[in-house]
Parts: sequence; C-alpha cells; structure tokens
Amino acid sequence: MFKTATLEERRRYYREEWSEKDLPKFITDELRMREFGFDHLGHGPNDRYKVFKGKDSLRRFLRYKTPFAAYISVAFYNNPRRRGDWLKSEYVFDVDAKDLPIRSCDCDGVCEICLSEALEIVNNMIDTLEGDLGIKKIHLIYSGRGYHIRILDDEIMDSDSELRSEILKYVAGAEVPKLKYGNISEGSGSSYNFEHFSIPIAYPKVFTKRIKYNIQHLKGNEEIDDINKNLLKDIIKNRDLLDDDQWGIFRSKIGPRRYKNMVTGMARVNLATIDAKVSIDLKRILRLPTSLHSKVSMKCVEVKDREWFDPFKSAVPKFVEERK
Amino acid sequence: MVLLSFINPLSEEGQEIVKEKGDLESVFSSNDELIYIVTHDKRQNIDDDSLIPESYGDLAIKRIQWYIERKNNKDFNNDDYSYLFNEEITEADVISFHLISQAIATKLNPNSREARFFVESQGKIIEERLVKLPEQERKEIVNRILNQLIFQENINWKFLKELVASKKISLTDLVLDEGNIILDKEDFINRFGDKFKDRAPDRMYEIIIGDSIKELILTKMIMQNTENYLQKIREMSSKIEVHPAISELSEKIAQSISELTSKYSGFYGVGGSEGSMKIGKLIKEAFPPCIATTVEGVSSGGRNDAIVLLLTSFVSYARLYPAIFRNEGVDVKVSDIDPNLTITLNEILPLIYEAADNCSPPLFDDQPQEKINITSKLGFGMYENPELDHEGETTWYTPMSCEKIKMHLPQLCRPDKLCAKIGNPLSYYSRAKWLMEKEGKSANSINSNNNSNGDSKNNNNQ
Repeated sequence: MFKTATLEERRRYYREEWSEKDLPKFITDELRMREFGFDHLGHGPNDRYKVFKGKDSLRRFLRYKTPFAAYISVAFYNNPRRRGDWLKSEYVFDVDAKDLPIRSCDCDGVCEICLSEALEIVNNMIDTLEGDLGIKKIHLIYSGRGYHIRILDDEIMDSDSELRSEILKYVAGAEVPKLKYGNISEGSGSSYNFEHFSIPIAYPKVFTKRIKYNIQHLKGNEEIDDINKNLLKDIIKNRDLLDDDQWGIFRSKIGPRRYKNMVTGMARVNLATIDAKVSIDLKRILRLPTSLHSKVSMKCVEVKDREWFDPFKSAVPKFVEERK
Repeated sequence: MVLLSFINPLSEEGQEIVKEKGDLESVFSSNDELIYIVTHDKRQNIDDDSLIPESYGDLAIKRIQWYIERKNNKDFNNDDYSYLFNEEITEADVISFHLISQAIATKLNPNSREARFFVESQGKIIEERLVKLPEQERKEIVNRILNQLIFQENINWKFLKELVASKKISLTDLVLDEGNIILDKEDFINRFGDKFKDRAPDRMYEIIIGDSIKELILTKMIMQNTENYLQKIREMSSKIEVHPAISELSEKIAQSISELTSKYSGFYGVGGSEGSMKIGKLIKEAFPPCIATTVEGVSSGGRNDAIVLLLTSFVSYARLYPAIFRNEGVDVKVSDIDPNLTITLNEILPLIYEAADNCSPPLFDDQPQEKINITSKLGFGMYENPELDHEGETTWYTPMSCEKIKMHLPQLCRPDKLCAKIGNPLSYYSRAKWLMEKEGKSANSINSNNNSNGDSKNNNNQ
C-alpha cells in the first residue's frame, strides 16, 4: 500500500471495481450543478470545468479516461462549465494526516497511527459541530490521506467566507477563550477572570478538549510558535496531571506567564490542524468520493460509522490486495 | 417606564413617532420643546450655546459628533451631551435617528464612513443608555426588546449569522448547545447544572451569561438592523425624489464628520511620538516577509487574494496612512490624503500591477477583471480605474491581520523575528521603519535608494 498506482491498476479499478452505485447520494443529487476536475498525469488537476449530466456519463468518462485523480466542486452553479452563477457551496473541513502539526508517529507520509489520530480529531470536530452548533447534514469522507468533513446544511451553504472562518475558529479551537467575564460596558458592575479550564461548557470546553489532546500527543521535538524548548519540556513533564484534569496544578507548575504562551501556541496548532483555506474557499474542488487516490493507492470513500472506521478495511482497492 | 424606542428607534413604537411627528418641513426649524428638554437636563452643560441642539436636524448631527468626540477627545466632557441620555428626549431622538438614516442612505453610500460612524454611534448610544438605567428597568427593557427582535423562544445561532459573519458577535463568546444560544437561567441550569463541580451553577450563569450577553446581542442586532434599514431606504430612494431638507442634512453630516476626523486624525499633522507613522514614500526594505514575497510574485493558488486583498490594502495604507490602526475609528478615504489621486495612480497602482505581472501565470493575463477588484478594495467602486467620483462606493480595505493571512494565504507567512511582536503587516512596516531610523538610516536616505515613480511634491500633506 501507499505506492503509486500504475496506469494498468487504475484501469482495473475503474473498469472492474468502481460502481456508480457507491456514489453517495449527497453527491449524485444535483450532480449536473457541480464542476468536475481531473488529474490525468499526476501533476495536479488541470482538466477542470467538466460537467456531467448524470451518473452514466460520469461512469463512461471514468472507465475511458481512468484518471490519476478525480475531483468534484463543493460549489453548485447554474452554469458549472464556466463556474458561472454560483448558488451555494458545501462547507468543508480538511484534515490531512500527513500535515498534522502534532502526531505520534515518525512516518514521512501517512501511516496507520497518524490516520487514526486524524480520525480522532475529525470525530471531536463533528461532536462540536453537532453538539454545540446543532449542525445535522454532515458527511465524513476518507480522502486517501486524511478526512474531509462535508457539511450540506442549507443555512451554511449560502454563507460567505467570513462566516465560514468564524465557525472554523470555534470548531478548531483556534482562538484563545476570553479571560474576562462580566458586563459589556466599561465602568459598570464587576468582571471576573476565568481560565478556559474553569468553564466546563461552551467554547472554553471545546478549547480545553483540543489542547488536552495536543498536549497528550506531544513527542517533544515539535516546533511551535510561542512554545520554546524548555516550555515544551515542562509541558510534557507535567502532562500526567491532565489525565485527571488537574489543570489548576498544571498551570501553576508551568507558571502563569508561560501558560499564556502555551495557550497562544496551542491555539495556532489547532488552526494548523485543519487546512483552513479549504474551509473558506467557496469554489474548491475536492476528491470525488469513490475515486482512486492513485498516489497512495487508496479509495476515497464515505465513512458510515465514524467510531469504527478503518481505512485499511474499507478503502483498499482489490488490486492492492493482489499485489502481495 | 422608559419608552422602548429610547433603546430601539426601529421598533414599531419608533415608527409611530416618526409617522406622527416626523415632518420634513421642520427639520431645521427651531424646536422649543427640544430646547426645553436639553436645557433642563440636570447635568447638561448650558454655558455654551453651540452645545444645545435647536432642531431635529441639529440633534441628528450632534448624535454622531458625540460619538467621534467621545472616542477621540482626551478632554471629552459627557455633560456636553448629557441630553442624549435623558429619556425625555426619546421622541426627538427617534425622529433624528430616522432623519440621519434618510440623509445617509439617499445621498451617501451604505458603505461610506458616514454610514459606519452612524451605525457605530447607534451601538454606543444603546450601551450607554442601558448602563444609565436603574437595574430592574434595564433588565425589563432588554427582555422586552429582545422579545420583539427574536420571535422564537430558543434562538439558533444561525439567526444571528449576519452578526457573526460581520464579526459583530463572536461565536466563541456565546454559550451554545445544540445550535441554540443559551440565554435563560433555568434553561442554563437544566442543561449545564451538573457540569459545574466547584461552583454554583446559578452564580456561573450570572457571570458567564447574565445580562451582558443579552445586551450584547440586543445592541449588535439593532446595529445590524440599522445597516439593513439604510440599505432598504437606498433601494427605495431611486423611486422617490429626495426632500431638500434631507439633502441639506446629509451635506451637514458629511461636513461635520470631515471636520472632526481631520481634527483628530494624525495624517494632517506631522510628528508625534511615532515619527515612522508619518506618510511617506514606500520603503521596500521595511516590508514584512509576506508582502516582500507577494511583490516578487505568487504562483497560482492564493495568487488573486495575495494581490487583490493583501498587497492592495497594505501598499495603499503603508503609502498613504500607516497610522490607521493607531487612530481606530477615525475613518479616512484615499482622497483625504491623496486629493488628486496622484500618488495612487503613480506609485501605488504601478507597484500592485507589477507584482501582479510577476505572478505565475501573470494575474491579469487570464483574469483581467481583477483590476476592478483592486479599484474596489481602494474604495472606488467596481471600475477598471479609480476615479474621484466613485469614491465611497466601496470600502477602502484595511490590511488583513496576520491571523487572517495564516488562514487565507498560509504559504506567504514566513515569520521573521520582528513578526513575533506584531499582529498586522502594517504594524510590522511601521515598526521596521522606526527601527531603521533608530539605527541611523534616516527615512530620506532610504528613500534615495528606493526606486519609486511618484512625485512627493504632489502630496501636500507631507
């Protein structure tokens, strides 16, 4: 696995294994309003602005061309051939295992460990999307080297990049929670200071959970802005305290000034965990679920049971099994 | 009980007041009732006649003046405008609110600085009026207005998505559960009561939510509704003839704002503690890494945003008004500093166009329409070239923050040591210039090495 698929293998995949029946419904509904893009040579998707009237014409194209990679737009257009008259776009979170700023493995590309960590991260994000933000139409796609969370919630589909980046900050935990609580107008009433871990609900809870995950997965060789080598060492030294959520003691061991640095650095890590430019892009193309990620010889598939999904069981094409 | 329209002039009650008393013939007529209320306010400073609004039109202008003065004048005395917080003024205030809306929407632009000052001033007036109300009355009125603004019992955050998108409200400041914004105490305790181990949940409700989140939502909703109202009047105004009194009022508002902003903004004067914040030729050596990389050309993927959003706003502010973030709230247009657009056309645009050409593929080769976007980001509407007549149709974009660059254009963010101390490329530029001057390189000597096309003599503000 993780070897580039040959032309012959791609042919076998699209002619013998690929079936239009596997295309998720959220993709086939309104198929003709989406832009398709293809990479035929492995140099990036340069065959774009393609449109298919239905599943049949898509099937014929894939069988005949057996592309290196196939993509579909998150956007819906009245005129997808020219990307004209934009109507709405899915809202996407792209978490690529090979780009995770904190991961336990030492692999160069992706491996079982980082892929399962990427799944844990997207599962946490989906919990926040559903639990806090009440978003329901969520699809999770294994992309070959990571995961795409694809949201088709009507009220977010027509929103602009600004709203998307605000949601992203919340879901990723990319903003340090406010410290001060109290009246909005200056000079009236009193205000209180609370660290994020003292508030076990809402955004502070999301943030606390994200950075706890980060801290528990640190290896010690990470380079993180605002967190120097000594601080990183002390975080790791004291991280066992977080197993029982003893944040107050943990903070006192780190020291208040350095704790502030840690929190700022961790907010950046949280942002870097997601490819944010994919989330705010209204005209992006993403790998077509069911298509082959030829670079790693894995299938891009919809994840039905996100707690138990195993890409090595569900996303391995037949030709890979036969390679052995 | 104070009238609802004291806080929300857009309420039905407010509309009724305008219907009954909003006579356009008397916009600038002396109004004895108004003068009486103002001069009999216990705190009001009445030594100076110019402080007393004599007509609805006058009150309209003073509302915005209050906001700018309050924000910028170090010796600001609230007693000069005490009447604004006297509930007896409600009717006159509602009428003046609707007059300003008409004046700005019909004669100016919804994106103009006048519109922004008006909307911001409205937000600030609400906040201060609420603070001055007795606690019980404040709670009651907030609940009553919120009930009018929000129809359902549980508000989904998506109901406020316009406010979130325009950053008036941050999602991270709200308490969200299953999509709902939790405002009610009982609801809060039901949902989260068992989450708090060391603290009493009702006490935590008071601290985390209490009245502050409700007031925040209320204030921001009224601000947003004011913006929408301006837009609505603008759409309707093309069909009706504008009353001369409204035209006169819009001129007076614009004039008053110009006078005040020039009084308080730094760009007319020179010097000050930060010498490097003065306007002057662009010093490329002081550009932050993200800008330096952009000038050299960006390859596809982020190319358009790097040129249109990042470089355009950076170069224009760096050249014309590097102190923008120091004078927050003092709004400027390009023509305030570059009245004939000489610098814009001869220095700023050539640099942006050159960077666009350096991109691979060159930006305008396959997307010539991006020139229009550049003009638009300078505030001159959707046209190929900036022209004074179109100024204000769009907003002069301030440079995006480092946080935003990291998100939109991560490939450009290659921070150096100086980056750690700043949050915006423009702040980097000002600091780098200051450091260069401190190290003995005067701005002039750097300028002489700098290859710039413009003629600084044309800039009468230098």
